[in-house]
This record gives sequence, structure tokens and C-alpha cells, in this order.
Amino acid sequence: MNTDTVTNSQESVEYNYDVVKLFVIATCFWGIIGMAVGVFIALQMAFPAFNLEPYLTFGRLRPLHTSAVVFAFGGNALFATSYFVVQRTCRARLWNDKLVSFTFWGYQAFIVIAALGYVLGVTQAKEYAEPEWYADIWLTIVWVSYLLVYMMTIVKRKEPHLYVANWFFLSFIITVAVLHLGNNIQIPVDWRFAKSYSAFSGVQSAMIQWWYGHNAVGFFLTSGFLGMVYYFIPKRAERPVYSYRLSIIHFWSLIFIYIWAGPHHLHYTALPDWAQTLGMTFSIILWMPSWGGMINGMMTLSGAWHKLQKDPVLRFMIVALAFYGMSTFEGPLMSIRSVNALSHYTDWTIGHVHSAALGWVGFITFGALYYLIPVLWKRKEVYSLKLVNVHLWIATIGIVLYITAMWVSGIMQGLMWRAYDDLGFLSYSFVETVVAMHPFYVIRVIGGLCFLAGAIIMVYNFYRTIKGDVRAGEVDKDGNPREAQTTITQTRIAG
Amino acid sequence: MMDFLSQNANAGMIGLLFFFVIFVVFVSWLFRPGAKEEYKQHGEIPLRKEQAEVRQDD
Repeated sequence: MNTDTVTNSQESVEYNYDVVKLFVIATCFWGIIGMAVGVFIALQMAFPAFNLEPYLTFGRLRPLHTSAVVFAFGGNALFATSYFVVQRTCRARLWNDKLVSFTFWGYQAFIVIAALGYVLGVTQAKEYAEPEWYADIWLTIVWVSYLLVYMMTIVKRKEPHLYVANWFFLSFIITVAVLHLGNNIQIPVDWRFAKSYSAFSGVQSAMIQWWYGHNAVGFFLTSGFLGMVYYFIPKRAERPVYSYRLSIIHFWSLIFIYIWAGPHHLHYTALPDWAQTLGMTFSIILWMPSWGGMINGMMTLSGAWHKLQKDPVLRFMIVALAFYGMSTFEGPLMSIRSVNALSHYTDWTIGHVHSAALGWVGFITFGALYYLIPVLWKRKEVYSLKLVNVHLWIATIGIVLYITAMWVSGIMQGLMWRAYDDLGFLSYSFVETVVAMHPFYVIRVIGGLCFLAGAIIMVYNFYRTIKGDVRAGEVDKDGNPREAQTTITQTRIAG
Repeated sequence: MMDFLSQNANAGMIGLLFFFVIFVVFVSWLFRPGAKEEYKQHGEIPLRKEQAEVRQDD
């Protein structure tokens, strides 16, 4: 068993890094799969011939893509980082090794069960909550185990104060449990069949779905990843967070406000106007805690901006915050009813989601992994910081291509839908909008390919890091030359 | 309760003031006298290293 022993004056703590390593590997594995499926379905949108019936059609692969990147890539990254951070900041080993292992294998089993269901056409048709009742029950067992491990580790902590990153992780774990249970109240048609029906119907069902859906964004894709911000940026920058007070205000205002924003997904529907206005108002208020958090993260580098010049890992983290700021500005803008009248149901929404998912969630995860892997495998630094920089640039170019293509395509689509002539007839048929969007769909495929290529470069970099290699001619994050172990050995043999 | 909220013309203002006061009290609490050093210490938690840990990691 590979453990890290830490001795202080009174007693010793053996951190459980084994499970963190497993989750890190799973993050990379599912990340590549999820992104590759994303590129493939983007290709299907541009060239419908790529729909291979019946298993590999867009309708079945789209939930496979979203679940793979959100729950498999993002979820495993959250498990890995939360398990690492809670141990380090509580100075306590994870509670109960057996249950900890179960959360790993149980969660991977959930991913496989869900993915098989999608490809075979099993779905309860709720966005981001597609798995049927049997998978939902399994996930509930895994998630409650996760909560138990996390809580019990906190209970036995040696550090009196619970560091703010853990608050964000804990709010993510608890809220996702509540959301999952609330949105999956379903009645199976028969215990022997996969099919089930929602206990709610009509607008109530829609509202519960988007209470779930938006808070999945807020707590799964935001709160947990902010936990990464508050640990990994200070660690990499070797400076405490800019303002610990601001982080507390950030936390409480973010979780209080986020939970109300869901109704902005249901503008101009049967949902009562007051509820739509409520969702819109809270979405706009949400801008403030989001930007407070972004500024807090960035200002951690105040007085040490030069570190960005030499350290591409830190650059990943700060660019992630820039995308966080951009998408948390765009989100409230799109939640305004009159803006939403144009943007809703168009590709603009897809572009918005990807600026947040690729730029914010993806980049902060990459940054955290680039910090974490050398620490876990006891290496001084990753194999090559130059390759980290290549990853950063190719991924950024990919995102820019993706989101600009979707802005143009989405706004054009919205304008074409609403255009009508002097006699009040619609100017365009639906298929005309599809034809007009084709070039932008092709650009999106190219953007997605760039992002995927970056992730593959990252995985290669990790493989070499874990192997113990150092690329020749590399400098460390402070700009000092690094000893290239392999080259030195080779020279000796040759000499 | 629902009637009070939906029939009362001042409900919106009452709610606004209620949450605003909570927010002000909460922020004032963070800036209470003498708390500055405490929060600064909390911010140092990820960077604090015990002697043995320094040897282990570096």
C-alpha cells in the first residue's frame, strides 16, 4: 500500500492517496471518452451521415457525451480533489478505507450502467438526469457513502478550523444528493422493466427538472470546482487566498442565490410569470458573488503576477477564472426574458454552456491535475511544462473557435426563426436555418478537435510524469533549469 | 402563509428588507473588531506545513 506518512509532534497521519490516484486516472480516461464522443456528435450535426442507427445516433450519444464529461470526467475530478483537499486541510486520513474504495468502484459502475442505458435507448428523458430508476437508486447508495466518508473525515480532523474549500465541496455533495432525490421521484411500470414514469406532470415536472438542472450547474459544475480554486491556486502560487473574508461571503451568497435561479430555463412557458421573474432576478443577482469569487481567486496573485509568466499550470487556473467570469456574466444576460426570447432553444445556449464547461470547469480541472499528479506520484514537476503550455494554447484556440461559431450560429438561428414578411408569414422554413448553420457546425468540430488534442497531450504528459521522466531542456515553474534524468543516464551509457 | 405572501402588497418589500438585513448583519460579523488576524490565519491552512511534511514533500 502506497501511503504518505506525515508525523507531527503528537501523532502521525497516513493520507489515503491510493484512492485519489484511482480517481485521477478515471478522470483522464472518461475525459478523453467524453470529449471524443462530443467531437463525434458535433460531426453528426455537420454531416448527418455519421448517425449510425440504431445505437450511435445523435439522440442516444448526446446524453452519453453530457454524462461522460459532466458526471464521469467532472465527477471523478471532484471525487479526486475533494478527497485530497479534505485530507490535507483537515490533517486527517479519509474515514473507512473499505467505504472509500466502494465510492470509487460504485461510481464507475454507475457510469457504465448509465452509459449502456443511453446507447440501448433507456432514458427517463430528463436532461442531465437521463438514467432510469435502477441506476438512480444505485447512485443514491454511492452518493450517501461519499457524504458519509466526507463528513466523518471532517469529524475526526485535527485542524480546528474547516478550510473554505471544504465548505464548497460539502455544499456540492449535500445539494447534489437533495437534487438527485427530488428530481428522480419516479414510479417504475414494473420492477422487471427499466421504464418508469415521473410522479409529477406538466409544469410542476418541468419546474422540478429545471430546479434540478440549473442547480446541477450551480453545485456540481460550480461549487465543487470553486473548492478546487480555493485550494489549488493558493498551493500553486504559494500564497494564501487574497481575502478569506471574501471567500466566506462568496460561499454563502453563492449557495443561497443559486438555488432560486432554475426558472430562467422556463421563460415564456406555462410557468407562472412571477416564478419566471423570480428566476431571472436571482440569476442577475448571482453575477455579484460569481465575480466576487473570480476576483478573489485572481487577486491571490496580487504582487506575484510574474509567476504567470513562467508557470503554465498557474496560467491554466487563472484562465479558468477568466472563463468563469465571462460565462457568469453571459449567463445572467441570457436569463433576462427579452434576451432569452432570442437566445432560447438556439446554439447560443450551447456556446454558453461550453465556454463554462470547457473554459472554466475543464481548465480548472486541468490546472488541478497538473498540480496533483506530481504530488501524488512524488515527482518534482510534470514531465514537461512546455507541453502544458502547448495544451493551454491549443485548448484555448479550440474554445474560442467553438464559442464564437455558436454565438454567430445561435444569434443567426434566433433571428431567422423570428423573421416574418409584410404579410405576416415566416420568412424562413426550419430547414433553411439548418443549412445556414452548416459552416458554423464545421468550425465547431474543428474547435472540439483542438480541445480533444490538448487533452490527449495532457494524458501523454501524465504518463511520462508517472513513469518518472523529465523532458530534456525543461525549466521548472520558477524558470530554473531541471535535471533531465533520462538524458543524463543515456549520456553516461554512451560515454 | 401563502395568502399572506400573495395577497399582501408589501410582501415583496418585507422580503427584500428581511434578506438585506440578514446580509448586512452577516457581513458586519465578518468585519467585527479583532477578527482580521483570525481570518488571515485560516487562509494560511493549505500552506501550513509541519516539520515532517516539509521533509516528505520536497
